Amino acid sequence: MSTGIRMPFHGEALARAATMALAMLIALSILGLTTSFFGSPTALGGPPLSAPTQGYPLGTDQLGRSLLPRILAGIRVTIVLSSFAVMIAAMVGSLLGILAAYLRGIVDEIVARLADLMFSFPAILLAILISAILRPGTPSAISAIIIVTLPIMIRIVRAATLAVAGQDFVIQAQIAGAGIGRILALHLLPNVAGAIVVQAAYSISFGMIIESGISFLGLGVQPPGASLGSLLHDGRLYLSVAPWLVFAPGFVLAITILSVNLVGDGLRRTIDPVLE
Amino acid sequence: MTPALAVQDLAIDFQSRRGQVRAIDGATLSAAPGEVLGIVGESGSGKSTLGMAIGHLLGAGARRVSGDIRVDGRSIFALDEAGLRALRADELGYVFQDPMGALDPTRRIGLQIKAALGGMATRMGIASVLKDVGLADADRVARSYPHELSGGMAQRVCIGIAVARRPKVVIADEPTAALDASIKSQILDLLVRRCRATGAVLILLSHDLYAIRKCSDRVAVMYAGRLVETGWTAAVFARPAHPYTVMLLQSAIGRERSGGRVEPIPGAPPVLTGRCQACAFAPRCRWTEQACTAVRPEARCVADRDVICHRAESVMGAAR
Repeated sequence: MSTGIRMPFHGEALARAATMALAMLIALSILGLTTSFFGSPTALGGPPLSAPTQGYPLGTDQLGRSLLPRILAGIRVTIVLSSFAVMIAAMVGSLLGILAAYLRGIVDEIVARLADLMFSFPAILLAILISAILRPGTPSAISAIIIVTLPIMIRIVRAATLAVAGQDFVIQAQIAGAGIGRILALHLLPNVAGAIVVQAAYSISFGMIIESGISFLGLGVQPPGASLGSLLHDGRLYLSVAPWLVFAPGFVLAITILSVNLVGDGLRRTIDPVLE
Repeated sequence: MTPALAVQDLAIDFQSRRGQVRAIDGATLSAAPGEVLGIVGESGSGKSTLGMAIGHLLGAGARRVSGDIRVDGRSIFALDEAGLRALRADELGYVFQDPMGALDPTRRIGLQIKAALGGMATRMGIASVLKDVGLADADRVARSYPHELSGGMAQRVCIGIAVARRPKVVIADEPTAALDASIKSQILDLLVRRCRATGAVLILLSHDLYAIRKCSDRVAVMYAGRLVETGWTAAVFARPAHPYTVMLLQSAIGRERSGGRVEPIPGAPPVLTGRCQACAFAPRCRWTEQACTAVRPEARCVADRDVICHRAESVMGAAR
């Protein structure tokens, strides 16, 4: 068995390309945030609805704001929102999934039915409902992503844990005197961590779709903030006169989601080759 | 002397979606410190359930109907969660069939031995556990992950883990069934040797009659959740007192003469849904008489044997 450090995604050209693309998008958005090289995302005063020119590489919106810095800010908001929400969903989902699969019985029954219940609502509809209840804004977008990705996370982790929990090493740990906390944290979690990571990657891309959807409907990120979805929302009115307002953020959103998905595929093949 | 392990009239039910199944139906057993007790029986006779029951390790579906299990004089059913954990850690060791499944794939061997040793584990302690089970290159093994070991090495590690805390009772459930044929007897010898060295009772659950004959002091034959015959290994093998033992010995591979046939036991073991009201073996038995299908046989002492059979005397007499 090789013990040397291997390049991630060995032999996975697509996943590598996607990782690079994602890294580049993130680097650009950080540059846009920390330097004024690309201009300010909120500064008014340019010519409204200008086509891409030298001063405004991706044109301007109806208020004369440069689109490029707004997209860079939007990338950051979309990625951070989705990742943060998925991080929470992954923590809660892992805990519930592992507990349910390990304890079985009534706990399992409750958790599994709860996940089924959350699953039975169409994701976008549920997201809209949450946004409507919570008042449009960033917190409601985050809550929506959590609630929509949580049941999948619970199911995946529960299934992975079921396969692990029946093995003798769990009994061996009990015999060594381990309590439930130790078994969960030291034996079950590390053995299902691969499944969690892979699912988290998919959840992040799903979360981005949800976030964009909500923001496109005007229920997520509110102006003057920008996410890729809210940029689409703002630009749709001017589709016929300034198509770049929709095409540019739409293209970036597609590339971002595709990249995250490809990274997820690469992770899955790397971590669990049996699934192929 | 307190028996290291005493099982008294234990009955255990499993509750499943399809109904209730009686897995252990009044098992009685005791083992003195330091002895090797073999338990034989075909698949489904309740061997593994009994083994797990001793550590109170059966899942939520299992329910104790009656009886008691005492490890070193203490009833495992009377202990609270903390007491049970302490008992498992201090007094019990398990060796499973598949050593790879018994070791956590994500943790290094050294760490797993450390967990088995408890708080006071040192590097020296870990190394000595490994050396005692014949793994000379202890440092390398301690740094390895389970998948880096061969099956035999992994089972050696498991034996080391089982006896690490000098437990009173070691339960080995088919410890060599998953291993390469060429190392089976080595590993079994090692297991017996380590248990004798640490003074642990070894409960050897197996359907390998030859392994049992070779290394156990006493043997108990399990059928349909009861220990139908218990006695000194040599005596039981020479002159079985229970019809099931007789037929089990006849069906054993390796005993056949050239040109002879291995005699399978006709029929299949019963699946009990409650306390068996007659002799569970009666439908497959050639000594069956009226009492066998009407009265539940109780344990009695016949010659040097504890046996649960109405016709033990005739069965014993028939053996040459």
